[in-house]
Amino acid sequence: MNDRAPPEEFADINEAVGEEWVSETTPYERIRHIIAHTYSPTSADAVADTARTAPKTARKHLNTLADEGFVKTTTGEHGGTLYRRSPESLVVEQAADILEQLSTDELATRIQEMREQLNEFQSEFGVDSPEALAVDQTNQTLSDSGSPDSEIDSETIREWKTLRRNLAFANAALSIGNAERFVDGDRRSVDDSVPV
Amino acid sequence: MLGSSKQSEAHTLRGATDRPALLTIRDIIEEMEPLATAELDDYLNPSVLAVSIDDGLCGAEEARLDIQWTTQDDYKYHYTDTEGVNIRWGSHPHGGDYIHVPGLEHYHPPPTASSKPDEVEKSCITQTPEVLVTRAVLKLWRVAYHTESYEPLNAGSNPP
Repeated sequence: MNDRAPPEEFADINEAVGEEWVSETTPYERIRHIIAHTYSPTSADAVADTARTAPKTARKHLNTLADEGFVKTTTGEHGGTLYRRSPESLVVEQAADILEQLSTDELATRIQEMREQLNEFQSEFGVDSPEALAVDQTNQTLSDSGSPDSEIDSETIREWKTLRRNLAFANAALSIGNAERFVDGDRRSVDDSVPV
Repeated sequence: MLGSSKQSEAHTLRGATDRPALLTIRDIIEEMEPLATAELDDYLNPSVLAVSIDDGLCGAEEARLDIQWTTQDDYKYHYTDTEGVNIRWGSHPHGGDYIHVPGLEHYHPPPTASSKPDEVEKSCITQTPEVLVTRAVLKLWRVAYHTESYEPLNAGSNPP
């Protein structure tokens, strides 16, 4: 069906896609893109390296992004500034994406299901969090009494962590969605009386 | 999940599935590959970005790419098609099981995306950000598609 031209010759795939990316984007766009999913504190030099820009350029744009609330800064061990995505900004972004796809009613139903799933994890394993479960597991292994039956799939721990994170995004979306209904004065609807 | 044969615990991806990264990967694929349509398996609580491809490699009529990405930048890009061919690019700890793979990035070759310790190869994709990994996978797939061969998928180059 589609017969787009075959890719041009290249000697190294990493360089080829890196150069393409550079030619199609501005330094600011690349830095924003990289820091968007950088969740642990990282130096401007490291961001510059990944984003294929000069450290000075990276620092300038990261500081602008920090002023805008997109990035959070901390001070590293050696006094340098470290950057990571602002969790608040990430939550708001994900909430906005969710609200574009789902109504608050649909969202409320799904959140209920996800909460039930979370409770199931907690009651099944008898601990409150996936971290507590991991600690339990390590202790069992260390005490050398762990039977094969008590081995919990590490994939299950991952599912639990994922569910908890995505439930947080969904909860934020529902709160924002509900709040908007009452804050947006121009959109006075007839169902003002519907309880939130 | 598709193609994920029983693997040892040491091979689990680190960190939660990263919904934000999956959305970014979706947008890159939709923009770059006209044959592909990408969709989260569950919009609110996704574990996989499922990509349908309207054509396959080496005579296959259709194909799929199942993509996982975590908050710690571990990933799996699993290709499978109507001819039953499986291939996977991955990056995650393997406890030294893959004897030819010094780092995290590796490649499970066709036709079965073999996980045998001596068959898993070092990956030609060595960069971490999801934008570059995704672009690399799409480009390698395109080269393989046009040359009707699986060889380019981990060759890392496209010679004249």
